[in-house]
Amino acid sequence: MPETLKYTEAELVQTLKQRSQQAFAYLYDNYSGALYSIVLSIIADKELSSDVLQEVFVKIWRQMDSYDADKGRLFTWMINIARNASIDTLRSKSYQNSKQNRELTEAVYDAGGNTVTNIDRIGLRKIIHTLRDEYSALIELSYFQGYTQEEISKIMDIPLGTVKTRLRGALIQLREIVKK
Amino acid sequence: MDTKAYIESGIIESCVLGLASAEEAAELELLMHQHTDIKNAVDDFAASIEQQVLQNAIIPPAQVKDKLMRLLSGEFSAEKNVANPAPVIPFEDKKIDTAKIISIWKYAAAASIIFLIASAALNFYYYGKYNSVKNDYQALLTERNTLQANNDIFKTKLNDVNESIRLMADPVMEAVKMNAVPGKEGSLATVYWNTKTKDVYLLQNNLPQTPADKQYQLWAIVDGKPVSAGVISDCNGLCKLNNIPKAQAFAITLEKKGGSDSPTLTAMFVIGNV
Repeated sequence: MPETLKYTEAELVQTLKQRSQQAFAYLYDNYSGALYSIVLSIIADKELSSDVLQEVFVKIWRQMDSYDADKGRLFTWMINIARNASIDTLRSKSYQNSKQNRELTEAVYDAGGNTVTNIDRIGLRKIIHTLRDEYSALIELSYFQGYTQEEISKIMDIPLGTVKTRLRGALIQLREIVKK
Repeated sequence: MDTKAYIESGIIESCVLGLASAEEAAELELLMHQHTDIKNAVDDFAASIEQQVLQNAIIPPAQVKDKLMRLLSGEFSAEKNVANPAPVIPFEDKKIDTAKIISIWKYAAAASIIFLIASAALNFYYYGKYNSVKNDYQALLTERNTLQANNDIFKTKLNDVNESIRLMADPVMEAVKMNAVPGKEGSLATVYWNTKTKDVYLLQNNLPQTPADKQYQLWAIVDGKPVSAGVISDCNGLCKLNNIPKAQAFAITLEKKGGSDSPTLTAMFVIGNV
């Protein structure tokens, strides 16, 4: 983690772009846990989440050339890749089908307690639940389920303008919480 | 431009979290280059989100890394082979192996010593425990023996009392109540005389404790003459005395230990007619 960094972010990006296996192993060792928590917070299923995590690292590796430090920090960029890959999985047809099956056997999984995680306790979701209800619902739909503001406006049956204002209010409150 | 209002608008946060539209993201990218405070705001929020995510990291299953390394093995650069030419590798490996073996033995020796010390300490501990348990066991054994002995005593007493009750209840038994003579008020004893076998039993209802050198003696009065029926020793319930074929009365006197040939009339306690 940050204390034990032996690469600076710039060095890491540079060596990754040179296709260094060592740099990739380093990247995995330091960030896989964090990215896994992002995936798990969107997809509760642990087995599926580790498949998605693998896909995320393949994407990071193969898209490394397109990463531009001027546009944002490396880790933030990786978090967004993890979130997008998770939401894509969530939206995929095969997941939707398996979800129907899973809902039938949800009680069984819960009793076993190791296949499906209680996602409300994971990472960013834990913080989102400390926000006001109207805010946490908006962030749930936009950040964790990937709906656009137009879609949210329809789902919640509130004007698009209100969605925009509220979402920004929610994000400002979130900023104050994570600042600490 | 009012950068403060822009920073407070929530656009920065939605861009960092990937919730903004492409136009908003492009606009922010442009503004970041123009305004340091906007760039700082972006970095600050991104850093705190990163921090949160890192703090909540969950270790993924180990096989994910193995799979990835296998999957991407063809895509890594050959940097290692270039840095370490082939002939050097076996030599280095050998050196590392020797060092490794020595260090393994070192650890093994250290582990053995620690194990030995721990084992010795445990021996002392268990020996102390063994001794204390042994003592406890001895104490329990003694206690058990005492209880067993007491139990035997009570059993004997109970048998005697049962036997006495059986005798007293026998219809052939004649009870001769002997009352206190003047000066010995309160004393009372009963003779149980078997009318068939003529055996004599005595029940000491209430007689004072005898001095250490004296004993009570039972007398049968046969045709006006006292005949000894024997001395009364410690007995539970009824005391069996001498067989008396014929008597008109019974009396008890206190005599020297072992009994007398003729009764000391001044030391008479009780007397009763048949």
